[in-house]
Amino acid sequence: MTRHLFHWTILGLVVLTTSTTAGCTTRWIDINPSPTSRQEPVTQSILNDERVPFVMDGFRMTQNGASQNPSTEVEHRILNTVQETRLFSTLIPLGGNVASLGDKVVTARITFDETIDSHAGETAWKGFVIGASMFLLSPVIDLDYDYAAEASLELGRWDGQLKRYKARSAGTAHYTVFAASPTMIDELKGQVTEACLTDLMDQLIRDTNFYMANSAPLPDSPIVSVTVKARKSLPSPTSPSAVPVSTAPAP
Amino acid sequence: MLVYIFLITLMAALASPIYAADPTPKITVGTQEVGLSIGYLLPHRLTQDHTTKQQGPAFMPYWMMTLTDPIGGSWYRGQISLGAEMVYIQFQEPILTHGVGFAPKIKYTFVALDRIRPYAEFAGGPFWTDLAGKIPEESSQFNFVLMAGFGASYFLTDQVALNIGYRFQHISNAGTQYPNIGLNASLPYGGFSFYF
Repeated sequence: MTRHLFHWTILGLVVLTTSTTAGCTTRWIDINPSPTSRQEPVTQSILNDERVPFVMDGFRMTQNGASQNPSTEVEHRILNTVQETRLFSTLIPLGGNVASLGDKVVTARITFDETIDSHAGETAWKGFVIGASMFLLSPVIDLDYDYAAEASLELGRWDGQLKRYKARSAGTAHYTVFAASPTMIDELKGQVTEACLTDLMDQLIRDTNFYMANSAPLPDSPIVSVTVKARKSLPSPTSPSAVPVSTAPAP
Repeated sequence: MLVYIFLITLMAALASPIYAADPTPKITVGTQEVGLSIGYLLPHRLTQDHTTKQQGPAFMPYWMMTLTDPIGGSWYRGQISLGAEMVYIQFQEPILTHGVGFAPKIKYTFVALDRIRPYAEFAGGPFWTDLAGKIPEESSQFNFVLMAGFGASYFLTDQVALNIGYRFQHISNAGTQYPNIGLNASLPYGGFSFYF
């Protein structure tokens, strides 16, 4: 009888250890649109001397609709993604020296909107239930963390023509309480941002011909006028989020 | 011995340099916290049936996991964390006895004040003590402990914080054996936390 009980105790401990080790450290990330569902990468060819410089002219970030200080990390990431397309000859970050670039340049205004939902209320209740169960329910109760990124890119050609691009990607990290870590959130944000920027660059590459140096002549007069006005309000999710500053050749 | 370890850690933490330009601690989802709280139990005899003046030092090592980013947009902006703590109490009065327990714990930390972060917490779980059976209030050694309280953390660095707080503590056996009047106490405490 004692031996029988001992065997069941050992078996129970093995099952408990295995289930808690495997179950407690479970986490996975869903990305929408999924990177695996992406079609073949868009490819175009451009002559080296047809490439023009890309000048960052404006960069805005919002988080859950509230304006944020622009993140240098995100700006660099966007510039790196543009650099990887090899569409432009030089990339000049915000505030960089543009004096020696020549007349044909493409100016860019970028808006990057983040939406974060950590499901606080739901997580609090689930946490209470997990605690009340002495953590026994932790392997079977999943917690969620949502992150979405929307990037808007407005490119202005040297002759004053504008093109706008927009891409959006969202993802959810599902995790059990013992699997939570700041790294997991970084992974989610990284993957969502990557999917969003990849989509944006695909749109940009489709317009390769629009940005070739011989696609448009220089304006007759090198003098340009700039319309200057203050930003009206925070952008709503449905309205264009470009800063209302435009350049056009003087008459 | 534990008191000495606590004091040495406290002095080491206080000796670390603090600069006015230090950034606000970034506690995000998944940030873990381990720490130790040390307090002294002071009895409350809430009815005439309560006669025991139990008191003594309490040691509470704990672990917490941050579950949410800061929520809310006003003075109540804060984060929820979940964890557990061990509770050891050395009852020095009325008889030298001991109590040990394990309590899952949930905490809401207010983050509006940057380095000074008030919090409210609730914990409860099983508690064993050999004081029971020797006093009129409790008859069984297996009990439950419930604790609710508030406190404040002061971040010395992004990862180290000093804590002070107050808890109301209730110990009883949930009616599994009688008498079960319960023991109630105040527990002021201090301690430190390490975030990673």
